[in-house]
Parts: sequence; structure tokens; C-alpha cells
Amino acid sequence: MTGDTHYDLEILAELAEGLLDAATAQQVREHLAACSPCGELLADLAAVREVLAATPTPAMPMGVALRIDRALAAEAGSARGGGVGLVESPDWDELMRDAPWEEAPEPVRLGVVADDGSVVRTRRRASTRRRRWAMPAVAAAAAAAVVGSVVVSSGLLTASGGEPGRGKVLQAQPAVPSETAGVSYMITDSGYNYSEHALKQPLVGYFGPYEAKKEDGGGNGKVAACVSKITSRTKLRPIAVDQSQYNGQEALVIASWKDQARNKVRVDVVDPFKCKAIRKPVLGRWK
Amino acid sequence: MPDAELLARHINGDPHAFSEIVKRHRDRMWAVALRTLGDPDEAADAVQDAFVSAYRKAHSFRGEAAVTTWLHRIVVNACLDRMRRKSVRPVADDELIEAAERDTPMPDQTAEREVSMEVSAALKLLPADQRAALVLVDMMGYSVEDAAQVLSVPSGTVKSRCARGRAKLAPILSHLRNRSNLTRVSSAKGAELRDG
Repeated sequence: MTGDTHYDLEILAELAEGLLDAATAQQVREHLAACSPCGELLADLAAVREVLAATPTPAMPMGVALRIDRALAAEAGSARGGGVGLVESPDWDELMRDAPWEEAPEPVRLGVVADDGSVVRTRRRASTRRRRWAMPAVAAAAAAAVVGSVVVSSGLLTASGGEPGRGKVLQAQPAVPSETAGVSYMITDSGYNYSEHALKQPLVGYFGPYEAKKEDGGGNGKVAACVSKITSRTKLRPIAVDQSQYNGQEALVIASWKDQARNKVRVDVVDPFKCKAIRKPVLGRWK
Repeated sequence: MPDAELLARHINGDPHAFSEIVKRHRDRMWAVALRTLGDPDEAADAVQDAFVSAYRKAHSFRGEAAVTTWLHRIVVNACLDRMRRKSVRPVADDELIEAAERDTPMPDQTAEREVSMEVSAALKLLPADQRAALVLVDMMGYSVEDAAQVLSVPSGTVKSRCARGRAKLAPILSHLRNRSNLTRVSSAKGAELRDG
């Protein structure tokens, strides 16, 4: 009891839980019958129970399920020299084929990487730790300006010659004239470990502006081929692709315009090796 | 097929039996871990550790409790271990009041998400034992007896932890009474309780 007038929350909680001895419980009940403030506290306690009960509990994300699958498969492998058939990754592309927001968009012609393997590849940041929300407006504008600079067109992803200035994004040119309907997007290489929460934030804060450089590695060719495969299925125009992680698993995070006027993007998260979705697509925001 | 039989098959070398157990229970295990730890990355680590641990020590399951209780116990212990390692400290009353007064809602969040975030933040202010009890009883809806089995403590201890946890959360979460249909209902129920 607080002073001589009211009972505190802990006593009232113990009363509600039946923890008080009979005499004390009777005393508190008599007080409650006449004391409105203590009655309010009791109502607050009841509200806590119901708020907790009504808080939604999400299902385990597929990325976590796959991670556990791999850990158990490794465990089985070390114990028996073989794997166990654990959680199969669902075919998200197939599952989401008829999703309500997947209305048929205009066809977009996309190509693949040319035989010469010319690619635009961005340089990995010194730190893989990404900034989150606090992206300066200037940087955001720069990121927006990047869109359109790396061009996949008629089967060719290429970069212009010359070294880019430090901190600037290389302005890549289509090797084939623009009348071939070039589709442009940015490839970044953040290594950032995305979570479901991150995918629902403005993505420009994650796909920042990067210094791009010309490389002859086949890695981006594979990326471009995968982006082409995914976007030919979604029929959406890619904005940017981040070579990163999702819940600890290597992933390509592909952002495509769903509705540019309303700042809506579809985010596909795919396995970079198999080019297969590792979670269902997210309807997110670019800015 | 009952869980206990699947576990027996796993012990006898059936390579698919444990995967079925995982599929059956992973969502509940995830919910318990996420609510107890309040952090998806930590929860993912804890659930992974727990399932690997259960896989390894399946032979130690004696059948006194249900498999699901046994799994919950492993998950909750994995969560409590992580919390202890991170030295989560009990919070003083003035910090609880500060938390109650903190204005955190983001303008673009739905009411449901706001509530969920506030609940998660409030739970983090509780000591680990009270948090685990409230997650099992109030959030997951287990009986006090089941929660007592999971936590390996007497029922009275679970009740006491729940009561103390609710008393600490009441000043922080009571304002949610006026922010959703749910809480209006709870308020009415509270009034009913009060008025007998």
C-alpha cells in the first residue's frame, strides 16, 4: 500500500494473479470497491495482458529457416557424412506469380552481357557497415542521378573508358544506340546484411552512390544475366542491384520500379549463384 | 505422426524426421525468441543454436514432457543465455517512467506496427526472467503450468514473475488502451474487473 490511501501496481497485479493471502486480498478488494484511482490501475494491468496478447507474432522469415536448415544439414553431415532433407526453399517466383500487385506492366526489352564481358562494377566500400537513415540529401540526389548511368542494352552492359573521379559514379554509355531501348540500372556491392525490416525502408539509403570502375571479371556478367532473368519475368524496369546479404546469406537485392510516380518499388532478393528467389518479393519504397 | 515418434525416428537415424519437427515448430520457436530477445538477428542466432542443440541431444529427451515443451525449454534457455551474456540489467523505476513518456511514434507507421514496436521496446526494459514469463503466458498464450515446465520453475514463480512484469509494463503500455479497438475492449474489461 502506498501511504494510507492507495495500493501500488505490484500488489494489484498479485491480487489479479491470486498471489495474495485471503485476508490481504479481501482488504484490497474492499479498497477497490471504493477507490477509483486504484480501479484504474487494475484496468491498466488488464490492458497490459490484452495488449501483449494482441501483439502480432510474425512467422519465421524464410531466410532464417534456410539458415537453420543449412546449420542442421551441416550438423547431419558431420555426424553421418550426409545431409538431411530439411526445409526446402519455396519457389517464390512461382508462388508470387499471381500476387495481386503484380499486374502486367509494359514489356521492357532487356539484353544480356556481351561476349566481350564488358561490365560496370562498383568498388566495395572500405567498410561494409552501411549507413542507414542518415543519408545526406546530396548523396541521395547523387544516387538518384546514378539511375540511368549504367546501361544494359541489347545484350551489352558496358562502361565508358577512362578512370572515374574518386567518389563519383562512372557515367556509362550504351554500346548500342539508345533507340534499342536501353534499360539502365546501378550495380552496387555493399555486402550489407539486409533484414526484412531494411527492405521496407527507403532503399536509396542502402543503395548509395558508388564509385564505379571498369572490370573484366565475369561476376557482373552473372549479375546482369540474373537481373535480366528476374526482370524479364516481372516485366519491371530495374533501378539498382546490390550485391549483398540477406539474413546472413549472400544475396542480390534487386529494386525495380513498380510505380515510379508513387515511389513504389518491387524488391527481389535472389540467390546470386542460382538466381532463385530466397524470399518473397517486397513492395517497398525507393526514396 | 506424433512429435515423440518423429524424435524417436530421428534418434534411430531417420534423416527426415528432425526436419519435420523443425517445420512443425519453427514459427512458434521464432515468435518466442523474437519476443524474448526483441532483436531479429539475436533471435535467429538463438533459434538456430536451439535447434542444433536439440538435434544433438535428442537422445536426452526422456518423454516426461511433450516434445514441444522440451523444444521451448531449449529455445528459452538459448535466449536467456544470450541475454545474460549481454548483461541485460534490470531497469530502475525512473527509467521506466522516462520510457513511458518517450515519444517514439514515426509518422509513416501503421498503428499496429507502432503498438508492436512499443511492446517490444517495453519488454526490453524488464529483467530476463519476467520477460520470458510474460512472453510465454501473455503473448504466446501458454498456461501458467506449461510455462512453468518450460522455465523449469514452480507455477507460483511464473505467476509472480508475470505479476511483477505486468506491474512494470502498466505505466508504459496503458496509454495503448486508447489507441485501438483492442485496447478499448481491454479497458472495458478492466473496468469490469474493477467494478466486480
